[in-house]
Amino acid sequence: MGGPLIIGEALLLGLASGPACVASCGPVVVPSLLSEGEGWRLNARYLSYFLGTRLLGYLVFAVAAWELGVLVSPAGAVRVVIYGGIHVLLGVCLFWYAFSVGRGCAHDCAGAGLVTIGEKGKRGVPGAAVLGFLTGVSLCPPFVAAGVRAAELGSLVAALGFFAVFFVATTVWFVPFVGLGCVRRNESVIFVARAAMVLVAAYYLLAGIGMLAGRRIYG
Amino acid sequence: MKWLRSKLGYAGAGLTLALAMLTPFLLMGLFAQGFTRLGLHVDEIYSGGPTVRTIQENGYTIEVHRAVHPHLWQTEKAFVELEWKPVSALPERVTELVDIDGDGQADVRVSFDVPKDAKTPLRVNVEALNPRYEAMRGVGKPKYSELIVRVDDAILVRVPLAKGEAEQK
Amino acid sequence: MAEAACAAMAGKMEPRSWGKAVLLTVPMAVWSVLMAMGGPLRHQDRAVQIASGLTAAFLTGLFLMMMKTASTYRWRRWYFVALGVLFPVGFIHMVMVLRGSMGIPIEEMIAGRTPFCFLPIPLLILPAAFTKTLVFPGSILPGSGMAGGGMAMMVALWLALTLVMGKGWCSYACFFGGIEEGMAAVPKKAQWKKIDPRLRLVPWAVLLAMVLLSLALFEPAYCMWLCPFKAVSEYVAARNMVGLVQNVIFVMLFAALVIVLPILTKKRTQCTFLCPFGAFQSIFNKTSVFDIKIDQTRCSPCVLCQKSCPTMSLSDESIKKGETLLSCMKCGACVDACPKGAAVWHIKGTDVAVKPERARLMFLYAAWAMAAMFGGSIITEGLATILHQVL
Repeated sequence: MGGPLIIGEALLLGLASGPACVASCGPVVVPSLLSEGEGWRLNARYLSYFLGTRLLGYLVFAVAAWELGVLVSPAGAVRVVIYGGIHVLLGVCLFWYAFSVGRGCAHDCAGAGLVTIGEKGKRGVPGAAVLGFLTGVSLCPPFVAAGVRAAELGSLVAALGFFAVFFVATTVWFVPFVGLGCVRRNESVIFVARAAMVLVAAYYLLAGIGMLAGRRIYG
Repeated sequence: MKWLRSKLGYAGAGLTLALAMLTPFLLMGLFAQGFTRLGLHVDEIYSGGPTVRTIQENGYTIEVHRAVHPHLWQTEKAFVELEWKPVSALPERVTELVDIDGDGQADVRVSFDVPKDAKTPLRVNVEALNPRYEAMRGVGKPKYSELIVRVDDAILVRVPLAKGEAEQK
Repeated sequence: MAEAACAAMAGKMEPRSWGKAVLLTVPMAVWSVLMAMGGPLRHQDRAVQIASGLTAAFLTGLFLMMMKTASTYRWRRWYFVALGVLFPVGFIHMVMVLRGSMGIPIEEMIAGRTPFCFLPIPLLILPAAFTKTLVFPGSILPGSGMAGGGMAMMVALWLALTLVMGKGWCSYACFFGGIEEGMAAVPKKAQWKKIDPRLRLVPWAVLLAMVLLSLALFEPAYCMWLCPFKAVSEYVAARNMVGLVQNVIFVMLFAALVIVLPILTKKRTQCTFLCPFGAFQSIFNKTSVFDIKIDQTRCSPCVLCQKSCPTMSLSDESIKKGETLLSCMKCGACVDACPKGAAVWHIKGTDVAVKPERARLMFLYAAWAMAAMFGGSIITEGLATILHQVL
C-alpha cells in the first residue's frame, strides 16, 4: 500500500476514533483542566503539554509495536499487568494533582502557571504532561486499533508516521476543550474539580489494583 | 416592564399548574412516546444484539445473534450469543455443532446439560473449531461475554471472539 | 386568636379558619381520590383498596393541615418520611417474591428486567448522545417481572415532574430521601453544628466524575460504585471480590450518610454531600418559576433559616442577596423557621414578599398533585404489602 494511502488511513482512523479518545481521556482531562487557572491561553498551554506528551506516549509504543510486531496484542496476563499498572499510576498522579492544586501560590504576583506535580521549579513536572504521557501509553481501544495496524507496517518510520498522523487526527477532537478556559474559575469550581479528580483517582486505583491482583473488574 | 414581568411570572405559574394536572392524563404518555422515538437501544452487552440467523433443529431452534463488541473501557470481550429455545424441547444433554457465520462449516461445538429444575446452575463447554472463537470449559456465568444462562424459555450461550477478531471490529 | 395576632405582627401568614382551609383542600381531595381511582382503587385486592383509601386520606389530611397552619415543612415531612420508609417495604417485598433475593442475577439483567430508578438519568445522557446506547440493563418499554414501566416511563415521569417542580423533585418525589429526613428529625438538636460549607459542592464533583466515568466505562458508574440506596433496594449479586467491595461500599455509605450523619447533624447528609442526581436536578431550579426569597426589609438576620435548611442551601452571602443557593429543594423549612416572615415563597418575575401565600399555594397545588400521583402510588404499594401480612 502506498504512503499517501497509509496516511489517509491513519487520518481517517484518527478522526473516527476521536470521540472515543475524548471519552476515554475525559475523566482525566476535564477535572484537571477545570482545576487549572482561567483563560483560554493557559488552557491551551495545558492541552499542548497534555497532547505533546500523549504523542510521546504514542511514539514510544509505536517503536515498541514495530520492534515486537505484536506489542498491542500481548498475552492476556501481560496486557492486564500493563493495563493495571497504568491505572494505578494514573490514580496516584491524579491524587497528587488534586493535592498540588491546593498547594499552588494563590497570589497574583505568582502569575498564571500550570499546576505542577511536586514543587514548582526544577523538581516539579507539569501535571498535564504526566497525565498526557500516561493516557498516551494506556491501551485504550482506539489506540489498540491503531497499534494493530502500525504493527503490520513494513518499517519503523512507517509505524511512527502512522501513529503521528493518527495522533494529529484524534487531536482535532480535543481542541474544543480549550473552551473550558472560558469557565469562570472561583474557589467552588476548583474545589469541584479537585474532588472529582479524587473520585476518578480512587476509581483508577481500585481498578488498577483489582487488575494487578488478578481480578477483572465486574468479572 | 415590571408589570409585564409579574404577569409573565403568574402566567408561568399557571402553566406549571396546568402541566401538573395534565401529567397523568397526557404528558407522561407523550413524553414516553417521545423517548421511545429517539431510537435509543439498550447496550448490546446486556441485550446480546439482534438475531441474524435461525437454525432449525429437531423441535427446537438455535438463534445466532450479531457479534457484540464492547465500547471503550468496558471490561467485557467481544462475543456472539447463541440462543436455544424452547427449553422444553431440548434433550437432556445438548451437544451441537454450530455454524455461526453461515458459511456451511461448523465454527464451534457446544455442549451442556439441560436440567429439569430451572434453578440448577448451568455449565457449558465450547470447543472452537474456527480460530475466530474462544474455547470455554465448564463455564457458568462469570461475565456478560462468556456465560450460559437460562432466560425464560431459552438457554443463552455467549461465546467470546478470539482477540484478533475482536480488535478487527 | 393570640397565635394569629402574633403571626400577623411578625409579618407571617396567619393560620386560616377551618372553613377556608377545607375549601382550599377540596380540589386536592378530589385529585387524590382521582389518582387512587385511576390505579389502586380499581384493584380487586382488598388490601390494595384499603391502602389506596388510606393514602388518599393521609395526603388530603396533610394538605388540609398545610392550608390550616400555613406551614409547609412539618406536614410535608410526614409524607416524605412515609414515602422513604414504605418504598423499600414494597420494593424489597416485590423483589423477594419475584426473585427470592435482593441481588440482581445476571439472567435478569440480560432479560432487561432491572428496575430503572431516576438516579442514573444524568449518567445515561452522554453515552446515549454519542452512540444512541442506553448503558443500563433494563427495558425501554414496559416489560415483565421487575422491568415495570420501563425506562421510557421513568424518564417521562422525571421530565414532567421536573418541569413542574424543578429541584422540588428532591422534596416531593424522591423515594430515597425520606429515610434520612426521618433520621434527621429524631434528635432535638444537632450534635455536629460546624460543617465545612465547601462540602455542599461535593455532589457536583460526584456528578462530574460519574458522568465522565460512565461515558468512558459505558456503564452507570454511580449505580456500580456509590449508590447508598442499593442497601435498601437491590444490588448486583456479588460474584467475586470486586462485587463484594461494591456491596460493602453501598452499605457503609448508607449507614453513614442516611442513618448516622443525619442524626448527628439534623441535615439530609446524603442529599447534601453525595447525591449527583440532586446536583443535576439543581440545574432545573433555573427553569422552574417557583423559588424562595429572603425579604431584606424584614430579615434581622437571625440565620434561623440557614440553621433549619436540611441541605445547607442558604449561606451568609445568599441571605444578603435575598435568595437561596441553587441547591434549594423547596421543602419550605426556612419559610416555616423564619420568625419575621422574611423567607417567602416567590414566583419569578414578581416582587418579593408581594402575596407570598399566593406563590406558596400555586406551588403546593402543583407539587402536591405530583406527590399524590407518584408518591401516593408508592405509599399505597408499601401499605398494601404490610396489610397483606396483617389481614
